[in-house]
Amino acid sequence: MNILVVEDEPKAGNYLLNGLQELGYSVSLARDGVDGLHQALETPFDVIVLDVMMPKMDGWEVLRRLRREADTPVLFLTARDDIADRIKGLELGADDYLIKPFSFAELVARLRTLTRRGPIREEEHLQIADLQIDVLKRRVTRAGTRITLTNKEFALLHLFATHQDQVLSRSLIASRVWDMNFDSDTNVVDVAVRRLRLKIDDPFQLKLIHSVRGIGYRFDTQP
Amino acid sequence: MSRSRHYSLTLRLALIFALLAFALLATLGVALYRELERELIRRDDTALISRVDQLRNLLSDSNTLDLIKTKPELFQNMLGNRESVLSIAAPGQPPLLLVNPANIELPAIEPVPGNHVLVLSDVQHLPGLNGIPFSTVAATINAGDLGSLQVTSGRLMTERTAVLASYRLSVYTLASIAAIILALAGYLLVHRGLLPLRRLARHAQGIGVGNLAERLDSEGAPKELLPMIESFNTMLERLSKGFVQLGQVSTDMAHELRTPINNLLGETQVALQQQRSVDSYQQLLASNVEELERLARMLDNMLFLARTDPASALRQRQALDAADEVERIADYFEGLAADAGMHIVVQGKGVIWAEPMLLRRALANLCANAIKYGAPGSALSVQAIATDEGVNVRVSNQGETIPAEHLPRLFERFYRVDESRERSSQSNGLGLSIVATIMQLHNGRYRVSSEDGITTFELFFPARD
Repeated sequence: MNILVVEDEPKAGNYLLNGLQELGYSVSLARDGVDGLHQALETPFDVIVLDVMMPKMDGWEVLRRLRREADTPVLFLTARDDIADRIKGLELGADDYLIKPFSFAELVARLRTLTRRGPIREEEHLQIADLQIDVLKRRVTRAGTRITLTNKEFALLHLFATHQDQVLSRSLIASRVWDMNFDSDTNVVDVAVRRLRLKIDDPFQLKLIHSVRGIGYRFDTQP
Repeated sequence: MSRSRHYSLTLRLALIFALLAFALLATLGVALYRELERELIRRDDTALISRVDQLRNLLSDSNTLDLIKTKPELFQNMLGNRESVLSIAAPGQPPLLLVNPANIELPAIEPVPGNHVLVLSDVQHLPGLNGIPFSTVAATINAGDLGSLQVTSGRLMTERTAVLASYRLSVYTLASIAAIILALAGYLLVHRGLLPLRRLARHAQGIGVGNLAERLDSEGAPKELLPMIESFNTMLERLSKGFVQLGQVSTDMAHELRTPINNLLGETQVALQQQRSVDSYQQLLASNVEELERLARMLDNMLFLARTDPASALRQRQALDAADEVERIADYFEGLAADAGMHIVVQGKGVIWAEPMLLRRALANLCANAIKYGAPGSALSVQAIATDEGVNVRVSNQGETIPAEHLPRLFERFYRVDESRERSSQSNGLGLSIVATIMQLHNGRYRVSSEDGITTFELFFPARD
């Protein structure tokens, strides 16, 4: 995946560049809006991460000019948590937004969603190592043993299984599994993951759910 | 353009006073003038008629006629002034007697027949000379041998005109003087009457952030101003309360920020003191992330509380199935409750008219608290009860009773019942104030009760209008 990051704040630009490169993406970094627009028009990118508050040419202007020529997906970053701002961005043709401070894992998840082409095909059967999931019948077995899960535990496992190798942040999990779109002050997600582990990981040698310190969880056959 | 220009109340009232005084006095003067004029005319006319009547009597006597012929100067003096005219003549002949010192041209008028008694309406009023009215009356006299004679008597009303003119002048002068006096008096009175207002304005101008506790003085103020002073003072009361709260919130927030920042700073500085293993660096960074997430959450909550756009929240309300919503909350907290040894009992009926994310956030905050303070083995109950006016959502748990003095303050920002116990990284003291804000956004109500170990939070969402 080819990503352009337009961000004037040096530290933020650097960590976005490094973080995304480490995940194996090809990343270009522009330090201001003029350079960003220039690069965006020169090279075909799969997705653009665009900061709104920039000197010389702000994100809105970059977006406005970009949209005259290209429809590259754009995710904008804003420090202002007001609805008018977000609506403005979306009206100018942005595809998604994140409010600073945001979690890096969240950014990656959004970028993946933006660049996913075509409709997602829901797998009816999922197999990860010796874990088998029958999505329609909601039946889970591991190493031949039937595992009984509650509804939400199943939803959580299904989310993990369909996002293998990806680090999922707590807020993303909360919003996908329980439709709770806000950072709650509780450790509900940790508790739910622990209870799921108790059923699908603890009795077995190969662990599938891994904690990623400070970020969230990863579902993977590799430790 | 000039619509926004301010007019002077004092000037306006003074002008109105003046106009009214002038109009009133002038009207009165005109009415009296008319009365006077009528009276004067009547008097003059009566005099004319009585003169002609006298002449009638006199002339029916032949001696008198002889006297007129022989000594006309007697009659010329009889009238005594230059304004009267008298002519006695036989029809078609030069007059027997003509007294006309002012040489007034006599118009030909129809004489009243001899057998007719003269009345006021027989007097003719003519425009006369130089605008001065001329009244005249003519009568036929049966004078025995001489046949019928015509007597014409008239009078130029110079005196009357002069009297009336001077009266008119007096009326207008007096009315004007009265108007000016009233205008001045009105101006002074209004100016004086508004003195308390100017005093209040000066006082109000002196009230700023530094002395919000000061109140406007109603001493000596007129009764009409009291409601304004009172509401102004109430407004000051509210402002000063809000201001104190705002200041308190800023202070509290700064204190709240201290803990995570202190942790970040301290841990990081200690870690940098010497070389460490990769694992301990990772641990440090993870711990930093925790603190930073805490800061981000606090920021998010503060911004949520500061957001002043209730209209958009109200616009985004939807009809939500109460049963679904309490079920969802129970699902969300199922694990957490089980960890605390509690179980969740839900019951829901009706339709909640609310913005879904805000409703869930409010319920989540209440449930998180209920689990945190709930007694192990007890139940957390979430009920939605539909009434005609809306839906009551009750979240109650069993645990320690919250002392009554804390209850009213629970919904304040950063308020904590027990300072030492609750400064955990998960709680930032904003949860319940967010619930309060959410309920205000929904025009709803919220309350809490705590008795015999059962603490119940109740949220009321009004039904769709």
